[in-house]
Amino acid sequence: MKTRGWDIIVFRGVNIALIGFLLLPIVVVILFAFNSAEFIVFPPEGFSLRWFHKFFTDPDFMGSFFRSLKLAFLTVIVSTGVGTMAAIAIVRGKIPGARFLSALFLSPLMLPAILTGLALFQFYVIIEAGRTFWGLLIGHIVVTIPYVIRTSTTVLYNFDISIEEAAMNLGAGPWDTFRHVTLPLIRPGVIAGSIFAFIVSFDQFPVSLFLVNPGENTLPIHLFNYLKYSFDPTVAAASTVSIAMSITVVLVLEFTVGLQEYVRL
Amino acid sequence: MLSPGLLLFACFFVLPLGVMSVLSLLSGNPVNDPNVSFTLKNYLKLTEDIFYVEVLWVTLKIGFYTAVFSLLVGFPLAFQMARTRSKTIRTMMLMAVLSPMLVGIVVRTYAWMTILSDQGVINATLKNWGWLTRPLHLMYNEFGICLSLVHILTPFLVLTLTGVIGRIDLSLEEAARNLGAGKARTFFEVTLPLSMPGIMGGSLLVFALAISAYVTPILMGGFSVITLPILIYQQISGVFNFGFGAALGLILLLVSLVVVYLYHRAMRRFARGVGV
Repeated sequence: MKTRGWDIIVFRGVNIALIGFLLLPIVVVILFAFNSAEFIVFPPEGFSLRWFHKFFTDPDFMGSFFRSLKLAFLTVIVSTGVGTMAAIAIVRGKIPGARFLSALFLSPLMLPAILTGLALFQFYVIIEAGRTFWGLLIGHIVVTIPYVIRTSTTVLYNFDISIEEAAMNLGAGPWDTFRHVTLPLIRPGVIAGSIFAFIVSFDQFPVSLFLVNPGENTLPIHLFNYLKYSFDPTVAAASTVSIAMSITVVLVLEFTVGLQEYVRL
Repeated sequence: MLSPGLLLFACFFVLPLGVMSVLSLLSGNPVNDPNVSFTLKNYLKLTEDIFYVEVLWVTLKIGFYTAVFSLLVGFPLAFQMARTRSKTIRTMMLMAVLSPMLVGIVVRTYAWMTILSDQGVINATLKNWGWLTRPLHLMYNEFGICLSLVHILTPFLVLTLTGVIGRIDLSLEEAARNLGAGKARTFFEVTLPLSMPGIMGGSLLVFALAISAYVTPILMGGFSVITLPILIYQQISGVFNFGFGAALGLILLLVSLVVVYLYHRAMRRFARGVGV
């Protein structure tokens, strides 16, 4: 048996500590969500669901929670549709400037999101549109489309175009080929993109910051405003609910379509 | 197929950025001021007050420290993820690195507040044990901001770096060992230089994200540290100075574009298809 050198042992120890550093805050948040004390104390004092009760009965928290959900659902629907169509056009369309177009569609990822929010806000003020739900929705769509395009183009580049040609040669029209051949093959990439879009929209802060109407906060904005003045564990309960939600979405999709294969590095 | 996306981006991304650039060159807000003229005063204002120069300096400093410490945290993780032969270990590490990304930035910043604040986990525990009489000031300063930014941004660096280290040809390292180089020498003279594109790319990405962060600096800094995004928000929402806000936005845009350019140059030197 090969003996392991001390350097390997130290290296692994360091990595376990680093993973602990990455996971520690999540553990702390979940711990405090179930803690009965008003203030953060360590070690935790007792088990309680009072902060969850406060979160689920507070009209401000609930209002912003459902607004964020609605926003995220609408964002996913539009950006998945528009993004997938654009991805197909870029990869298959043989259009001039395909590289430029893909750079354009990915650029909201490269630029600071806070600037996308700022520029849209100033634009809405100039055209006198103000801060509306629809304006906010458009902002979310613009910053989530890059994720859909990236995952869809990856799948499109990786699949064998001759499968489509075979369908066409066997007499399928362009629409039938798309529906019965192309779409099922790219579905995993599209789904992965829409999960990213959902999470990015639901947790979105910098774009919402400028665009949200003060009376109609999204959940991240409401949490942020709440944290500026109070520090009680209701925020921890709200966080635990959204963590549980994200994990559920990812796990359900992992087991139904096998997400991991398609979220490539 | 392309037109809905193109139309959307033209109207709600390119055009607004154009409007912002024009606004930064105007003397007032064209909506309520009919006598606006072109001027450079919004940019000159930056050089007139030492406060603005300091804001810029603090922002870049936070970006730099965050990038350096993210690299120290991220490199060992990326190295093991790229090199482990066990699929289980790789999957588990990937999950551990990615799972913080499922948690929103507000929540992750809140988590660090509960740990580092004067009544937080660390201070409360140390006081309980009788090791402290006065709390340690772990937040409301640049240290707290950088620590939470490192936590929030390290996953981005790990993803970039793992791809690059994973594609290093192992036979190069074996050749160095066969020629008599020790483990350390092989690492510093073969592995590290070959990882350089990933190191540069990942750190630049973290730097770009750190200088444009808003939530973390404001909550961890407790309003005592002002960075460029905080100043931009104050100018727009507090003072309604659209022109100056737009000029500050353009400066942030310019710095980010330079960083993105350097990032692409670093990544292109290495391989195609490794991107974030």
